[in-house]
Amino acid sequence: MLRCSNLCVSYGAVQALKGVDLTVAEGECVALLGANGAGKTTLLRAISGLVRPRSGEILLQGQTLGGMAPERRARAGIAHAPERRRIFPGLTVLENLQVGATAVRGLGARMQEDLDRVYAMFPRLAERRTQRGWSLSGGEQQMLAIGRALMARPRVLLLDEPSLGLAPLLAEEVYVRLADLAHTRITILLVEQNTAMALAVASRAYVLEHGEIVLHGASAELMDHPRVKEAYLGA
Amino acid sequence: MLTIQLIINALAVGSIYAVTALSFEIAYESTGVVNFSTGQLVTAGALVGASVTAIGPHLAPVAYLAVIVAMAALGLLFFVGAYLPLRNRPVLTVIIGTVAVGILVQNVSLLIWGPLPIAVASPVGNATIRLAGLVVPTHALFVILVTMVLILAVYFLLYRSPLGTQFRALAQDPETARLIGVPVMRLYALTWMLACALAGIAGLLLAPMWFVDVGLGDSLALKAFAAAIIGGFGSIPGAIIGGIAVGLAEVLGASYISSSYKDAIVFALMILFLLFRPQGLFGERVADRA
Repeated sequence: MLRCSNLCVSYGAVQALKGVDLTVAEGECVALLGANGAGKTTLLRAISGLVRPRSGEILLQGQTLGGMAPERRARAGIAHAPERRRIFPGLTVLENLQVGATAVRGLGARMQEDLDRVYAMFPRLAERRTQRGWSLSGGEQQMLAIGRALMARPRVLLLDEPSLGLAPLLAEEVYVRLADLAHTRITILLVEQNTAMALAVASRAYVLEHGEIVLHGASAELMDHPRVKEAYLGA
Repeated sequence: MLTIQLIINALAVGSIYAVTALSFEIAYESTGVVNFSTGQLVTAGALVGASVTAIGPHLAPVAYLAVIVAMAALGLLFFVGAYLPLRNRPVLTVIIGTVAVGILVQNVSLLIWGPLPIAVASPVGNATIRLAGLVVPTHALFVILVTMVLILAVYFLLYRSPLGTQFRALAQDPETARLIGVPVMRLYALTWMLACALAGIAGLLLAPMWFVDVGLGDSLALKAFAAAIIGGFGSIPGAIIGGIAVGLAEVLGASYISSSYKDAIVFALMILFLLFRPQGLFGERVADRA
């Protein structure tokens, strides 16, 4: 479904990604792990078109995305729930969700079905539907960010650090929903610093260090891998 | 009685300031650019309207349509010629670009229409009506009515339509708006078309009250700027209330204090706001921009 091959991204003289190869198959949930500054967010931003790769390719369903603008990638089926959630603060919960469906054309009455699905998944959002984005708690904002991305009926969902800045209990709640979501066979690329949580949800994972993939494999394998245990699971 | 008549006149003048400030505000909200060519756009609108009404006074209502179309086209030109090439530069560069557009529009206007002032007829004529002992110019009522229609139209566009939600999303966080597929370039183009059309209509509303020459919009834009500051920069309701407030301060100040100080009164009010309440009446909540 999604494939990056030999992807290089630089910010000025700094190389953020040094030839990353990564694939996400249809219906798969793949985690991308790594420390702060390893290049995880940069990879997601390259996939959604916010940064231009210096070289390499990104393919969605076999089609190269080239220099396509982010808004066109969104319409092609890439939904990116960015780091720090980036809820529209002045829009209500409902408006945030509605505007999330911008990428889908001719939705008409089916918009309500999609809204109901998101509300069923995150009942808290239904209760808060007329509140403005800024007034939500961190956990609610995260739910809204995921719900907003789902409203685009994405082919690939990119999630950047959904547990960031959340109290452990809330992070767990978000991850329970993510596990449900992964079971619906939606294609997900999940960036996360909380390795244990991410490995519990994803079927496969990649480990990124200093802009390079240093490890990849099935989640169960990685969980027992000495290097992962030592560096990321704190065991 | 006299006071009520003055207030109606103030509302009419204030309405024009409000429409101009609205033009200002829409461009600022969506693109972050303070449009310093607003005054010249107001003038261009008035001049286009003047040319249409000059063909025959019965065409005065058509003039409004013509101004909307012509100014929207100018807005598109503005977008393609000034905003697109400069949009990735620092915002100050774009703002200076709008100054250049203003100079260009003013000089082209001078070339086409010449320096002589032109009288423009109102679609409702220059009659007055007597209402319960009040003498009210029909054009003043017309201005208030048109402004209310415009405000309603902008309100529905921004707050009651899917397009409006996209507009506001874009204003609050352009990068995330792109991530969810908002066609940002199309919306920026629409923004400039709308801003120019509103400025043009403000000019046409003003035209029957003053003579129209190429400097018509300059002082109007300054007052609209004051209105935007008083109302709260970055707030659409603020632009409207600020416009009315400036109209009231000006007309009431002119008749109760001195007409030679009316501009000074408005700008003193603006300075007071800048000193003591810089966020204006409807100051934007910082969180809205977070």
